[in-house]
Amino acid sequence: MTAVIAAEGLGKRYRGKWALTDCTLSIPAGHVVGLVGLNGAGKTTLLNLATGMLAPTTGTIEVLGERPAAGPAQLARVGYLSQDAPVYAGLSVGDHLELGAHLNPGWDAALARDRIDQLDLDPRRKAGKLSGGQRAQLALTLALGKRPELLILDEPVASLDPLARREFLQDLMGTVAEQEVSVVLSSHLISDLERVCDYLIVLADSRVRIAGPVDELLSAHHLLSGPRRDPDTRPAGCQVISASHTDRQSTLLVRADGPVVLDPAWTVSEVRLEDLVLAYMKQAAGRSDRNRNRHLEALT
Amino acid sequence: MIWLTWRQFRAQAVTAAAAVAAFATLLAITEPRLASLYTGSGFAGCRGGSCAGLANAFLGQLSNATPFGGPQGFRLLPAGTNLYVTVYAVGLLLILIAPAITGVFWGAPLIARELETGTSRLTWNQSVTRTRWLTVKLALVGAAAMAVTEAFSLLQAWWAAPISRATDLGGSVSVFSGGRFSPFVFATGGIAPLGYAAFGFALGVTAGLLIRRAVPAMALTLAVFAAVQVVVPLWVRPHLFPPDAAIAAVESTHATFSDFSGAPTLSAAVVPGQPGAWILASGAVNAAGQPVTALPAACGPASGTPTAGSAFGSDLGRCLASHGIRESVSYQPVSHYWPLQLVETAIFLALALALAGFCLWRLGPPRLNSRPAEASQRAVGVEATVRSE
Repeated sequence: MTAVIAAEGLGKRYRGKWALTDCTLSIPAGHVVGLVGLNGAGKTTLLNLATGMLAPTTGTIEVLGERPAAGPAQLARVGYLSQDAPVYAGLSVGDHLELGAHLNPGWDAALARDRIDQLDLDPRRKAGKLSGGQRAQLALTLALGKRPELLILDEPVASLDPLARREFLQDLMGTVAEQEVSVVLSSHLISDLERVCDYLIVLADSRVRIAGPVDELLSAHHLLSGPRRDPDTRPAGCQVISASHTDRQSTLLVRADGPVVLDPAWTVSEVRLEDLVLAYMKQAAGRSDRNRNRHLEALT
Repeated sequence: MIWLTWRQFRAQAVTAAAAVAAFATLLAITEPRLASLYTGSGFAGCRGGSCAGLANAFLGQLSNATPFGGPQGFRLLPAGTNLYVTVYAVGLLLILIAPAITGVFWGAPLIARELETGTSRLTWNQSVTRTRWLTVKLALVGAAAMAVTEAFSLLQAWWAAPISRATDLGGSVSVFSGGRFSPFVFATGGIAPLGYAAFGFALGVTAGLLIRRAVPAMALTLAVFAAVQVVVPLWVRPHLFPPDAAIAAVESTHATFSDFSGAPTLSAAVVPGQPGAWILASGAVNAAGQPVTALPAACGPASGTPTAGSAFGSDLGRCLASHGIRESVSYQPVSHYWPLQLVETAIFLALALALAGFCLWRLGPPRLNSRPAEASQRAVGVEATVRSE
């Protein structure tokens, strides 16, 4: 399996502040990959590095085996829809399609026109007069019209209302299925990713916390609940990702690569993707807290 | 890429073309009367020494003329102002500020507006590198800025040819004054406007790229360009080509005497045998060629003490000559006009190219946003690394 995005020790510093540090990851081709992380986890920075909008401060990144934005050929293979879906307010919808046709040798005019027709957009309409959802659709049309091998979407639905969000994602999935394009989609809304992604990467503190196909991740994780235990006891063969305790009950989210055999006091239930992601984010946050404490102890 | 550049630049291009057309129309309407006055005043046909007087007569008539002759000529302007005076002055002003306007309104927003609205992220993710994107934009819009400025300049040169001939001969009436070397006339004639337009535009683009916001970039462009327009004629232009030197009788240079802060100076007004020359420096020298700091006492009381600012009487002139005092002049002769134009234009074109090259280098793939870290930033960076680990 070839990697669409491969990063090694990647770091980016803006004006003295690190937005991304020591990020190493490999995103396989042929998936709709969800990149999820809290605000400020480095998602946008990572995607900007992947499209060559930014240059890394440290480390390397390769996209489809080449340096991002290395040349027209590399640019032609990657479609990018950035966070706020920028379009030229003064140009019409039709002008944008013409822009795509003039700037992309592989431009698929029929595909672009069909999409605009389906979306019921008037080609003579100024892009500045479109709604947020329509603007995002227009920007997506430009990204798809160049027929990329990899489509990178940075929080494409963050600014859309729930209905527009659902429509956008449905439409995206339909098109992706037809075009056989790899997709990397970032979001902090897990419910959106759950609907469309078959591969998940959780980014926290600019580190990859977990990555893998969604179904494998779900089948490897279990939610255990039972009478309250000593917090330090661990069920055999399991790795505890998160634990919460009330006076009477303990709830554990565990990872077990084999079948789970437990004492019958535990109730095993399936994990929802959202709980899984949150558990890993919380774990990352807890780990850095512990690190901080350890540093403090060392100092005193 | 050419299509996109044109599509984004279309409106400005049409505006600029309309401005050039309007100026051309104004000049075309008013030119016939100017030409008839030129012939009618006798200045057109003059040869030799009588020309200076005829030049002034022509300029005097022109500054009172109406476009279609007769006192009832149509009045576009309030009473007391003359159309020819106004058009000449406006023309010079247009050519002077056209490079600033194109630099401010075309150059500064070229990159800054795209960064501000985020459309750079749309365009830079089409199958065109940033380098190519900027090269095409710089070339096309920059060429348009140069063409507009030079068009104004050529129109003015055609229309004002008789006026220029008169002012080059020393004619001076109202705004019609100052020969080819006067700061405004030099900067608006010949090929100099090309250099200024290219430089103003490149300056705007660079300011936009560095500041990344259009309005502050526009303000900075205007400020820097205005400073350049002041500094160059005063301190740079005189030295762009080695000047000639001459020593002549004080009287023949029509020198004026001034005595500010106790340092008497004789300033030459003309260079004998070099009509229209640009005098850079002048002063009295003795027979040995040394600068004279005080006038001989004998010439003072005998011929009456010269008053500051007055031209010398012939008695005083003879007295100074008898003491071996003559006037030394350093000047750019008329024959240096084109060399000076070439050097100045070349300098500004080179500056424009250097700025364009800087923009291309800065925008190229590995550099955008990666500002050089200063010492303090580096310290913060180390802290951040420690914290994130």
